[in-house]
Amino acid sequence: MDLPPLSKEQLSAVLKSSRSPTELYNTLVEYEVEACLMPTTDSDVSELLSLFYSTFFFAHLLTDQIYEARAMTQRMPQGLSQNDPSLQNCLTLLRAVWQRKYESIYKILRELPWPELLRPAVESYETYFQEKTLKEVSYAYEAIRPATAANYLGLDTTAAEQGDPAVIQKFTAVGWIWDESSRLLHPKPIPTAPEKDTRLYDEVSQIMALVGKYGG
Amino acid sequence: MAEFLSQLTSVSSDSSDEDHDKRIRDLISYLQQPSRASELLAASGYLLDNLDPYLHTLSYLSVLILKIRSLQGGNKNRLPEQIHPGGELWRRAVRFLRSFDPFQIRYAGQEWRRLVQLVVRAAQAVSKPHMAVLVVRDAILRLDPSSEVLTSAHITFIKLTLISRSYNLAVPVLERQVYHFPTLTGQAYQKYHQPLPCGEHESSTAFITDASGFSKQLTYRDHLQFFLYGAMVYMALKRWDRALHYLSIVISCPVTNAVSKIMVEGYKKWLLVSLLRNGKLVTHPDIVSSHVIRACQSLTKPYASLADAFEKGDYRRLKAEAEVARSIWRLDNNTGLVHQVIKAFNKCMTLKLGRTFSALTMADVAQHASDLSAPLREVEPLVASLVMSGAFNAVLVQSHNHDDTMLRFSSPTRSLYAQEHYAWGRIVKEGRLLGVVAQNIYQSNHALELSNEQFLFSQKTLKWSDNSGKGNTGAPDEVADGADLEEDLMGDIH
Repeated sequence: MDLPPLSKEQLSAVLKSSRSPTELYNTLVEYEVEACLMPTTDSDVSELLSLFYSTFFFAHLLTDQIYEARAMTQRMPQGLSQNDPSLQNCLTLLRAVWQRKYESIYKILRELPWPELLRPAVESYETYFQEKTLKEVSYAYEAIRPATAANYLGLDTTAAEQGDPAVIQKFTAVGWIWDESSRLLHPKPIPTAPEKDTRLYDEVSQIMALVGKYGG
Repeated sequence: MAEFLSQLTSVSSDSSDEDHDKRIRDLISYLQQPSRASELLAASGYLLDNLDPYLHTLSYLSVLILKIRSLQGGNKNRLPEQIHPGGELWRRAVRFLRSFDPFQIRYAGQEWRRLVQLVVRAAQAVSKPHMAVLVVRDAILRLDPSSEVLTSAHITFIKLTLISRSYNLAVPVLERQVYHFPTLTGQAYQKYHQPLPCGEHESSTAFITDASGFSKQLTYRDHLQFFLYGAMVYMALKRWDRALHYLSIVISCPVTNAVSKIMVEGYKKWLLVSLLRNGKLVTHPDIVSSHVIRACQSLTKPYASLADAFEKGDYRRLKAEAEVARSIWRLDNNTGLVHQVIKAFNKCMTLKLGRTFSALTMADVAQHASDLSAPLREVEPLVASLVMSGAFNAVLVQSHNHDDTMLRFSSPTRSLYAQEHYAWGRIVKEGRLLGVVAQNIYQSNHALELSNEQFLFSQKTLKWSDNSGKGNTGAPDEVADGADLEEDLMGDIH
């Protein structure tokens, strides 16, 4: 694939034009080869590489590839990752996601300084992580205290504990039931859309027909 | 120069297979003429600029290889500067391997393999193996999109992904079903049907043969290494079920007497991955010979002790076993896996509680399942993360007044959904596998002349033979020829 050379402008264009996290990831996979060839001694190039690897890191997280994200952090130039603040933030975030430390994850995403170019990716990941966690919580809990639920989603736990309608509404909007008397939320499982598979056989009979045709 | 170029661009695919095959062979003869090398080399810069790697695959590859050879001088192991990553020939080689014509390339297996090896060596020479991973993967899948035939390029590729920690890039190759070795040529049944390499084929075995040059001669070691390395890629991605499957292939490899060291390595990893995947040792695949199991067991005693402590839920003993055999884990490069086994202990103990209890408080979970050092406040997040990741079928119930959360196993409504989801996944997976197996059976039957159509044909020839009277004994031989078949069938109708 012939891609335009890697630059800040190109990185920004890729971030804006990618229609899905998978598309973003696939494009950045191609650019990693070019990034491998760049010298880390030049400060301009180092800045570009820092942006590239940080964006690539978020592309991994957005496609739920945490183990591969870790492998990527081991592939990038170690001198760069040890000194660059943005890449250091990525490593801190990786640790928090790996250990499922929800409070820390939101704190890192919201409070640590991220380069301007990276902001859309950081914000996308926060939304993605919230939605993913909401689905998981909806299956894992039959009854949950508002403060616990708020902690999972990075919401104000004190307000949730006091039954703040604004916080409660975020949960009831997705079908959860708020029991005023017990002051508990009852989650409703949020179904995950099944993977689209054009080769999925609608009927078991089709599989049996296949056996009949070839297996005889 | 232009006339020279027109000769090299004479191959086009807009003709019949026979004509295409003839033109390709003519071009190869032209390129291989002894006097041609110096002419091609002299014009190599112009040619590489003006030939298209896709349209003129064979000419481009030929000139590129000639150019590289000339820079290497007499030393084939020398890597000229231009082939190093970023160099002119590197860029041309990468461009070629990602855009060659998959039909024309079938006539240049040796050269294809040579270029793949060069790219790999060049990337390794500058300690940037990752740079070759994507190129080699695309070259393998471009040549054979089904990746059903194991070649030496597969083994090189998987090794490269491990060295460069590019695990995910290996998955598109590993997820395909690799179930053929390059076809042995010269078999008796092949004399009736010699497919043209440039034609459309249902299986890549038609053109990846032992004589095609796409692979060096494979040994049992190569076969075992591919699956062991594949398992290691899946281990890095923590896809334990796939890792276990690949390791099962390693330990199931047929052997006559001695057990290979790679199989023993595979068995050690198989024990640990089995604990990580299932929380217990699974039974060996039925096809593993008993003497292989006996040999492996005698060589992996520390692993068996560790697994025993794990299965019996004895955390202190597990830690002690892990500590006492530290040098062995290090020597076997299994330290990381053993650490993961210890970390998985709490998870497995919690899962086992579901067999005895229907509901427990977190305090009970801490008492029954957790290792002694974990404080109670750490137990709930651990259990919650297990439930949320879908590791086991349970729900958590909090109450407002009490701080203690209940863990309730197998909620009927939720488990129904989970079961349905699981069954759906299995049907899709099994359906795909069934498709692969069925296709392979069909191809094998066809190659061995065992398909239903051929049986019907045999039946008809027998009938024909009987009807023609005993005097005509030469008839079955004659019908082996395709032209006679039409006459016979017509004869039957009349």
